Amino acid sequence: MKNVPAILITAALLGVAACTNVNSPNGPSVTELRPSERGFVAGLGIESQDLVTISDKMARGILGAEPIANAQGKPVVVLEPIDNDTRFPIDQDIFLTRIRVALTGNANGKIQFVAREHIDKLERERDLKTSGQVTGGDKLEGNEFKGADYILTGTFKAISSRGAAGASDYVLYTFQLINPNNTDIVWEGFHEIKKQGKDDVTYR
Amino acid sequence: MKFATATPLLCLLFTLWMTACQTPDIQPTPEYSDDLVIEGKRLIAQAPRQDKNLWRLRVGLIALKQNQANEAKALFDAAMPAAGQILQTDASTRMAQSLFSPENVKGFHGEPYERAMGWFYRGLIYWMDGEPTNARACFRTAQLMDALAERQQYRADWVILDYLDGFISAKLDKDGSAALQRAREHAGAIALPDYNPAANTLVVLQTGFGPVKKSGGDVGEALVYDAGHSDVAQIRITAASQTVTAPVFDNLTLQASTRGSRAMDLILARKANVKKVGDTIGDIGTVPGVVLVDYEDTRDAGLALLGVGLVGKFIGNSVEPRADTRTWNNLPQHLSFAALQLPAGEHPATVDFLDTTGAALPDRKKSVLLTVQAGRDTVVLVADR
Repeated sequence: MKNVPAILITAALLGVAACTNVNSPNGPSVTELRPSERGFVAGLGIESQDLVTISDKMARGILGAEPIANAQGKPVVVLEPIDNDTRFPIDQDIFLTRIRVALTGNANGKIQFVAREHIDKLERERDLKTSGQVTGGDKLEGNEFKGADYILTGTFKAISSRGAAGASDYVLYTFQLINPNNTDIVWEGFHEIKKQGKDDVTYR
Repeated sequence: MKFATATPLLCLLFTLWMTACQTPDIQPTPEYSDDLVIEGKRLIAQAPRQDKNLWRLRVGLIALKQNQANEAKALFDAAMPAAGQILQTDASTRMAQSLFSPENVKGFHGEPYERAMGWFYRGLIYWMDGEPTNARACFRTAQLMDALAERQQYRADWVILDYLDGFISAKLDKDGSAALQRAREHAGAIALPDYNPAANTLVVLQTGFGPVKKSGGDVGEALVYDAGHSDVAQIRITAASQTVTAPVFDNLTLQASTRGSRAMDLILARKANVKKVGDTIGDIGTVPGVVLVDYEDTRDAGLALLGVGLVGKFIGNSVEPRADTRTWNNLPQHLSFAALQLPAGEHPATVDFLDTTGAALPDRKKSVLLTVQAGRDTVVLVADR
């Protein structure tokens, strides 16, 4: 039993180390988190965990949508920027990019996305080919740029309030898959998040 | 001369010679540039940690007024928390609440009118960068900063923020009428122009000097404002044979002074009470204590009274109830806005700042070159100072 104090001290040290919370601002200066994890600087705004949750949910919804699940061939989908009607400035492409990546990874080639956002560069390249300035023009048969079978877009709306009791933000994220030939909304998904918080008393 | 006498003399001479040969320690004159942004960045680097945001905001606004939008963007982004971020408790906020530290030891985030102005300028930069929806988001966040006002009629009552919110919505083919109606309600007698969604040249105007904070109350525990000043009542813009006259939309002194009491004011009031009680006990105890100590019969009581008085004085002198008077001091007094519809190309414009009689103030006249691009808005900030 001579080793009892040493064992107790070791156990205490291990216990203290185990209790250190890596999410604490008093912990390590840099902490790598999963994007779906809520960090210690979490706020009321649109954050990475919202992006991951929502884009994965929408990707699953789109894959299960009847026009996609039962499509003959690969429907061509064009992404259109999100209409952000909230009080939070965001990168308007980031949600659709995340959904596209999730779909491309999980759809097993059932959906064809086109890089419409790069159309200027693509047109320039095509013109170079057709004019013979670069090779590959002989492989082109007329205009091969694909039109959209569906347009994927979304709208974010919010109700925000602030007062002595704190601040609250409700954000409704909606996404639509639209048939551009007849304006039909063939699929729609949504997600809603409400957050509230309170600044430190010295800032109120 | 004996060797024994000569040796110390030689040593002394050698030492003096070496000292004379030593290069004097010349401090080079600091190199100052005439670029206010570069000098401002030097001030940011030198500022105490809790004041850095204040200096970033000041320098960011200078950069924006000098058409250095990228510099301004970086400074505002560094100075302001994200739109939804909660300002959390930390060591400095705990210290600010303690009896023995003044409020200004906390990191600077400004009062609501300063936070609103930060988001307003950030929104302008987004708009300049061709991101009107993000600009609108910033204007909404700015408006929300003012929702903390104590009295209902002063909550979220910035005219320009609602006006621009609706204006951007109208330009995006959305309904901006509700925001315009709110702006008109808050504008009162000021006639706000209808939206022209085809307008592609947006001129944001600011005039005068904004309000300055100072401490009030018995012991500096209250936050009060020295009013700002502007003698401009209207602004006239002339470009490509078009003339637009813009009214004053907002008054920053009004926005600052209608905020009402803060939660922090209660803490400062408590500190002030402790300080005043300590000072009073000190005054009551010290002088009679000194008198009583002189007499042998009352010496013990005098010493006790003197001790209590000195403790009271010590507490009174140690308590720091001072309110935080750090001010974003290059803000304007008035904000205004005008929209023009111009063809693509370069258009020299003249901006006249008019007084209450409608006369142009000759020393304020500004010339601006408006560069209009097809398919996007041109957003400029013009200040009379």
